Amino acid sequence: MITLNAHNTNEKLDLASLSEEETALRIENLNLFYGQAQALHDISMAIPKGKVTAFIGPSGCGKSTLLRCINRMNDLVESCRVDGAISLHGKNIYDRDVDVAALRRRIGMVFQRPNPFPKSIYENVVYGLRLMGVNDRRTLDEVVERSLKGAALWNEVKDRLKESAFSLSGGQQQRLVIARAIAIEPEVLLLDEPTSALDPISTLTIEELITELKSQYTVVIVTHNMQQAARVSDQTAFLYMGKLIEYDDTNALFTTPAKKQTEDYITGRYG
Amino acid sequence: MDKFSVGKHISGKFNEELDLIRNKALTMGGLVEKQLSDALKAIENSDTELANRVLENDYKINQMELEIDEACTRIIAKRQPTASDLRLVLAIIKTISDLERIGDEAERIAHVAKASFSKDQEHLLVSLENLGQQVLSMLRQVLDAFARMDQESALLVHQQDANADRQYEALTRQLMTYMMEDSRSIPKIMDVMWSARSLERIGDRCQNISEYIIYFVQGKDVRHTSQESMENTVRGRTQS
Repeated sequence: MITLNAHNTNEKLDLASLSEEETALRIENLNLFYGQAQALHDISMAIPKGKVTAFIGPSGCGKSTLLRCINRMNDLVESCRVDGAISLHGKNIYDRDVDVAALRRRIGMVFQRPNPFPKSIYENVVYGLRLMGVNDRRTLDEVVERSLKGAALWNEVKDRLKESAFSLSGGQQQRLVIARAIAIEPEVLLLDEPTSALDPISTLTIEELITELKSQYTVVIVTHNMQQAARVSDQTAFLYMGKLIEYDDTNALFTTPAKKQTEDYITGRYG
Repeated sequence: MDKFSVGKHISGKFNEELDLIRNKALTMGGLVEKQLSDALKAIENSDTELANRVLENDYKINQMELEIDEACTRIIAKRQPTASDLRLVLAIIKTISDLERIGDEAERIAHVAKASFSKDQEHLLVSLENLGQQVLSMLRQVLDAFARMDQESALLVHQQDANADRQYEALTRQLMTYMMEDSRSIPKIMDVMWSARSLERIGDRCQNISEYIIYFVQGKDVRHTSQESMENTVRGRTQS
């Protein structure tokens, strides 16, 4: 009998009518302004739980801006103003009573360039827990092993946890950063072009890891590499000039896009 | 997105590569059409020389199939085509495989044309002519539809196959009657029967090619669906 691997099933979600249980994040009528300039226009979409969602689009289309909205990184930009809502479990993260630090513990983020802290591998992983006041050695040891295994790095570093994180290669550093992000068990993991600074083999390792991660986390990834979006994501959103042009099942979007703009972008034609 | 244009990629080389496989597939189609039309002429005029030429030329078709397949493989490996580009490459890979098989059927018909039929058996060959012309016309139309990626014409070809099937059945019945009347002529009648079978198969392969054209244009796989649902797909109607 043939049994299908869970990662290979092509079960298609109806993104327009996801139930609350299936939804990790719901973005509703989101507009974002940098001063007078509007960077995001009326974006509404539901990001399903336990899946990988990719944002693609040309430079400056707003995909990273949208990703940063999800854990309120844009708050750090002074002239930035957001209206609309992003709900995590029905609670708008832009409500006044939301503790942003607590929110970012639930929604972790990994950036383009690996950014380990100038500490040991071990201390990098437990950094978030120490901030939260966890100091019990056994707990920390367990978390380090679990997170590094989760980030597919354990076997390579288990004998040198005390060494500086800078002794690792670029691909290993990026996996370490992912381990640091998952150490505090977030619900959602945001990846902002996580492999653009890596070589092709490290890229494949990270892609494999993303596929593994979705069994426990909801992953949202921004990528310039369309083939990467096609390979790792379950659904893809195409953004252009701050607008959400098309959002669909990845298999459908890459074989039969509904909009001409999407078609032109993914086939590499002039817009 | 129903307008057929290979061009306008940022990479001019990619345009050229897609144009190349498309043009080669069209050339191969032209060659196959000539082979079939020659094979039918050879039967009609008992022209052994022409039949021999058909047999000799089959290798060209096989060669083209290999070449186009290789070019398509290169495109997939190097360009990772998506959306309509991907569908074009897939439609071409499938179409040329059907074209190659149509070439083989033409070869089979040419073999029959070389066999000697006595004067009173020649009427058997005449009965092939109608079916032959019908199928040849389907092939011409489907190649024309392929060149323009015209799904409406493709649908028309698809619908014509029922007619070819009816003619094939009538012909089979007629040939069976001849067999019962004169058992000594059975070997010759079987030859004609195999040719009729080849023609009927060519009709089916034209249908396949129409399906690939609709797949390219619509992005929907219409194989193994009813005529009605195929028509709905082409006309853009939602199916209940």
